[in-house]
Amino acid sequence: MESFLSAGTGIDVDGIMESIRRRIAEKKESGLLKDHDVAEIEAMELLPLPDFLEIPNVYRPSLYPEGPSAEVPPYVPIPFEPPVITVDESGSGLRGLLKALMRGTRQVLMPLIRFMTRPLYLELKQLGIDNQGAVHQSREESRGNHHRLTARLDHFGHITTQSREYIKLLHNALNNMIVEASKLKIEEELLKTRLRVLEDKIEFLENRQRAVEEKALTQ
Amino acid sequence: MRVHQFLTSFAYGDAIGNEAAEIRDFLRRQGIESEIFCLFHHPRYAAQVHNYLEYDRFAAPDDVVIFHFSIGSPVTKKFLRLAARKVIVYHNITPHHFFLDYHRTLAKDCYKGRIELKSFVSHVDLALGDSEYNRKELEEAGFPRTGVLPLVMDFDRFDLPVVPVLRRLYDDGKTNILTVGRIIPNKCVEDVLKAFTVYQRQFNPDSRLFLVGEHRGFERYLAALQDLVTRLGVRHVHFTGHVPQAEAISYWKLAHLYLHLSEHEGFCAPVPEAYRAGLPVVAFAAAAVPETMAGAGLQVHRKDFSAIAALIDTVLSTPALKGQVVAGQRQALATYTRERTGTILLDYLRSLAA
Repeated sequence: MESFLSAGTGIDVDGIMESIRRRIAEKKESGLLKDHDVAEIEAMELLPLPDFLEIPNVYRPSLYPEGPSAEVPPYVPIPFEPPVITVDESGSGLRGLLKALMRGTRQVLMPLIRFMTRPLYLELKQLGIDNQGAVHQSREESRGNHHRLTARLDHFGHITTQSREYIKLLHNALNNMIVEASKLKIEEELLKTRLRVLEDKIEFLENRQRAVEEKALTQ
Repeated sequence: MRVHQFLTSFAYGDAIGNEAAEIRDFLRRQGIESEIFCLFHHPRYAAQVHNYLEYDRFAAPDDVVIFHFSIGSPVTKKFLRLAARKVIVYHNITPHHFFLDYHRTLAKDCYKGRIELKSFVSHVDLALGDSEYNRKELEEAGFPRTGVLPLVMDFDRFDLPVVPVLRRLYDDGKTNILTVGRIIPNKCVEDVLKAFTVYQRQFNPDSRLFLVGEHRGFERYLAALQDLVTRLGVRHVHFTGHVPQAEAISYWKLAHLYLHLSEHEGFCAPVPEAYRAGLPVVAFAAAAVPETMAGAGLQVHRKDFSAIAALIDTVLSTPALKGQVVAGQRQALATYTRERTGTILLDYLRSLAA
């Protein structure tokens, strides 16, 4: 505490320090001065507003430094070969022998089977023809579908690439909007400050006006 | 011999501008031709100053040009190219770190200014500081010939009467504490607010704080201070902004104590002004402040706010002590008379001519 104060010659620094200590002690005893209150005041920091003037008005895409592509890159389709499905009708060993036996038996019994199951056979035959047509058709269709699917994949590929670039743009726009909103908030705080200054001035001028009026009317 | 002055800005109420005007008037009274050239000026001084680029029209071989240097600016380049004998008066440059959070452009200018200072070393005939503190900085920068020219101050304006309305408003029995100076970060106005808060809360609820000074350009600092006022819950704090001279004098005369807790001052003009106004001064001993106080007033060496508040209360409630402090300050005021500074200036100019 002794190094707290210095004064010119003739000033009783010790006496002043004693007085300071006494006053602080008195205030502490009376409960007016609390250490934690003073500590709280000392710890209060200024909270400066960010310097929005330093933020450039022309934004850089901070989220995607490379920026959105000017042109959408061409879609490269993934090579796709439809699987060839083959039915194994051959056989070997005991299994092949049984298959051959069944085929032979079926050949022998075919007239009886045709007779016994004629209507059904015809229907089945018709169905078989239809099925063959359908299979053929479906094969044709699947070929066509493959082309169509490939074309559609290409199409969706383009859309996906475009969307990706668009999302980048949106993110950048959103980022810039947040910066703008922050700037507006800071500007609002500054305007509030100016408003307070103006309020003070108006209050002062009103008081001044009253004082002048009072003076003028009493004279 | 003609003695002209260069400065960056001739602002209204600014200590450097006032000094330049005082020097010009003093030199003219001595029969020496003198003009002021600057980059910026307040409109009210338009008829009194010239743009620094116009100097060539006035130039003569035997000229002495005094440059009041306080910040980096284009005027430096022009000054360095002059053929005249050159004197620099260094008013100190606030370290840039004070402005980093509030005014980056000014921080940059201050940083550049300190670099520019070194560029003067081999170009000037004499380097003067307005305090010993500033002179030492010049010496450290490498200037071979240095000296001290105390700030020329116009105390005549203190003869102005108090504005009646201000007297009616503020001469009401409340204790008025005053701080004068631009509302800028190196002045540590936040510390003044904190010390005043403790004083008002613990010692004298019937007190008021005047913060008289320009805050334009530092709105963000002002906003932070106003926010702090709200958080501290302190009352009767008045940020007056820039006020006309008559009102400024009124605040000096209506105050009961001058409190200054700045952490960087190249000279600290408000201290001698407080001496002249007859106010006891409580100031934080930083940079050139102890030197400016010239052994008078009360210097605190730590920002212990409860102790500062108790000190204010002690001074204001002990008339004998207040009288002693003010008497000491009146004696110290002799350091800053216009005649003394004028004589020192003439001696320097004669030594240049020799």
